[in-house]
Amino acid sequence: MDAIRVSNLMKKYGTVLAVENLSLQVRKGIMFGFLGPNGSGKSTTIGCLTGLLDPTAGEVEILGERFTAESSKLKRRMGVMPETLGLFDPLYAHEFLAFVGRMFGLDEAVTRKRVTELLDALELTDRSKTLGDFSTGMRKRVAFAAAVIHSPEVLFLDEPFESIDPAGVALMKQWLRRFTEQGRTVFITSHVLETVERLCEEVAIITKPGRLVWQGDITVLAHDGTISYDGKEFEALEPLFLHLTGERYTDLNWL
Amino acid sequence: MNTELIGELIKLRYKLMWARTRTRNGKIAMFFVGYILLVFFIAIFSMGGIGAGIVAVRTGKAHTLAAGVLGVLYFQALLATVLMGFGINAVFADVELRRYPIAAVDRRIARHFLGLADPFWFLVLALELGLVVGLYAVGPGSIWLGLIAVLLLFVSNYVMAEVVALAVERLVRMKGGSAILLLCIMCLGIIPALAGAGMKKHPQLMAPLLRVLHYTPPYGAASAILRPGVEALFGLAVIVCWLVGLSAILVALERHPPQAHAAQSGALAWQGPCERLGALFGPANAPLVAQWLRFYSRNNRFRTAYPLALPLVAFLTFTQAQVAGPNAQFANILGCFAMIGFIGTVQFAVNQFGYMGGGFRRYFLLPTDPAALLRTGSYTFLMLSAVLIPVATIALALFSPVKLDARMLAMLVGAAVAALFVMHGVALWATLLGPRRGNFKASFGNDLSLAGNVVFIGGLLTFLFVPRVLAHVWPAAVAPGAWWVVVPLAPLAAVFYFVSLRNACGVFRSRREQILGVIEGRA
Repeated sequence: MDAIRVSNLMKKYGTVLAVENLSLQVRKGIMFGFLGPNGSGKSTTIGCLTGLLDPTAGEVEILGERFTAESSKLKRRMGVMPETLGLFDPLYAHEFLAFVGRMFGLDEAVTRKRVTELLDALELTDRSKTLGDFSTGMRKRVAFAAAVIHSPEVLFLDEPFESIDPAGVALMKQWLRRFTEQGRTVFITSHVLETVERLCEEVAIITKPGRLVWQGDITVLAHDGTISYDGKEFEALEPLFLHLTGERYTDLNWL
Repeated sequence: MNTELIGELIKLRYKLMWARTRTRNGKIAMFFVGYILLVFFIAIFSMGGIGAGIVAVRTGKAHTLAAGVLGVLYFQALLATVLMGFGINAVFADVELRRYPIAAVDRRIARHFLGLADPFWFLVLALELGLVVGLYAVGPGSIWLGLIAVLLLFVSNYVMAEVVALAVERLVRMKGGSAILLLCIMCLGIIPALAGAGMKKHPQLMAPLLRVLHYTPPYGAASAILRPGVEALFGLAVIVCWLVGLSAILVALERHPPQAHAAQSGALAWQGPCERLGALFGPANAPLVAQWLRFYSRNNRFRTAYPLALPLVAFLTFTQAQVAGPNAQFANILGCFAMIGFIGTVQFAVNQFGYMGGGFRRYFLLPTDPAALLRTGSYTFLMLSAVLIPVATIALALFSPVKLDARMLAMLVGAAVAALFVMHGVALWATLLGPRRGNFKASFGNDLSLAGNVVFIGGLLTFLFVPRVLAHVWPAAVAPGAWWVVVPLAPLAAVFYFVSLRNACGVFRSRREQILGVIEGRA
């Protein structure tokens, strides 16, 4: 069974087309990279897949069930770390995580235990600061903790590693690998192609406006293999990405 | 002084205003209608000032009346800025301006110049200028000294408003600051009544009091307009001294921002009053209600406005009861008392999500119906306002300016409960149809949209004036004998609220993306 199945997804903002007839399938138990240039519709797609936005057309299935913004039961099985982190600045980290834990149906004792463990593991132990006082990296860690606190079966991460220090990134990667080993699925967007290449089994690449241009297995790259496309052989994800999305170079003589 | 960059900032402020307006044709129309109305009001205020000047001269007490008018205006402007947030909106925060190559002094000048350019201050200035023209037209006033005095008075009024607003902001950030503020407001409310009674008993105190008042800016301005030679210059000097002193305080306050204090350390606190109150709404709503309570309990504006609700209603009830004739006395009390049902929370209820920032996005990722957010927010505000009704009723029963019988008490409670439901029902629509991104950290300033202001200020004015009008045109409707009409209004209002809530939840689901765009600053 696919963890995520998207059929002919379309999203318009007024007359502006953000995602065009996007269809993709994500197998259960893998780490799936969702790539595209800036403004190509990655975050809009994640918004539609997680209930933040209503698709203009098309269908989304998560874990075999049709998903809409009102699918509360399904949402309990999903974890989301949005691009705009969605934190409540006046709250302390533990208050925010406890709120999220309770909303996702954890009982009080479990919530407290998990919040304490997450705060310690992610080194968010400065309890004199509210979320608004946290640095960007710390805020990102809190958003990650909020996404995983209820042990979801499908995890959506929008640019999860940006602004986080190498130790934090290493820890998160370790958790994510364990996560998929347990048969759970991670849907990840990132502009750091090397990281995606090392972490993900499959990748989808989109261009403006949210149009799928390539989807495939990239595990061969880890074993010195190549990906064939358009009659060319690609030894890494970056050249393939640039080929698909269009390389460009503009010379500014004053710079 | 870098006038060029300051000029650019001022241009930018108006470009931003226009950019917000031009997104919709309707908004452009509203913008122009608003400005035509503003010009109209400026004209009315100027004429009012001229009229006041003429009356002051004809009564033979030109100086006392002019000083009185300027004093009342000065105080009213101060109250309006501090309580309602008019005229002190920070268009650009200092932090934002630091990005540009502008010196600290220039940043300060630009910010305060933009503050002074708020339409609210135009109205104040129009009335003051009208007074000068009126006094000059019928005889004793000096036009040039008058203009200088009024301009200085106007600037000192703005600086005073900024100083008071900053001081109150500091106060509410302190632990127990809200309580101190409450005490100050109560004292301010009681002192005029006590002073009036004291003057009646000891009229000899009037002369020294007037001597002290001569050293205040409004009296100084009146002297500069009406007195000859040295006395006029002394009046100007008084205003200048105040202006310099207030400016120094303002600069000192701005240079030393409050230090963020560690509100919590050591062990994590899990269960607090927010959770306990939230639990009253059942397990499904409890976390959301607790979240709303916690969120707003940390909002400076809320921490100022909510505790002020009781003293403000008490102040209005007592003052309105005294200015009314015997027939209208109870009607005025009824109108003012009913405000307790919404005055503490409605300015937040009309823009429930405005202060959420990016956090608003989080709610739609939670495994709950999105409408639960709107519903629980509204319940929270309803509960907070409802709590004030019994407290206010007991206080009024004990200290009422008129003798109250059981029918009157029933009417008062009925009116307050009806106001509670009606205003919170209407506020739901303002939240959905006129959301606006607000500044969570600000203690003052008017962040509301036009719809929000119409509900908030329109509600206050309705409850202030409609009973008074009814007392004249249909006295039986607001007499104690009409208790059986007013009391059933409460359940009817509750029905209105719940029907509104049900429909609003449906609208919220479909409008949530638009609201998200506004709250995150993208629309």
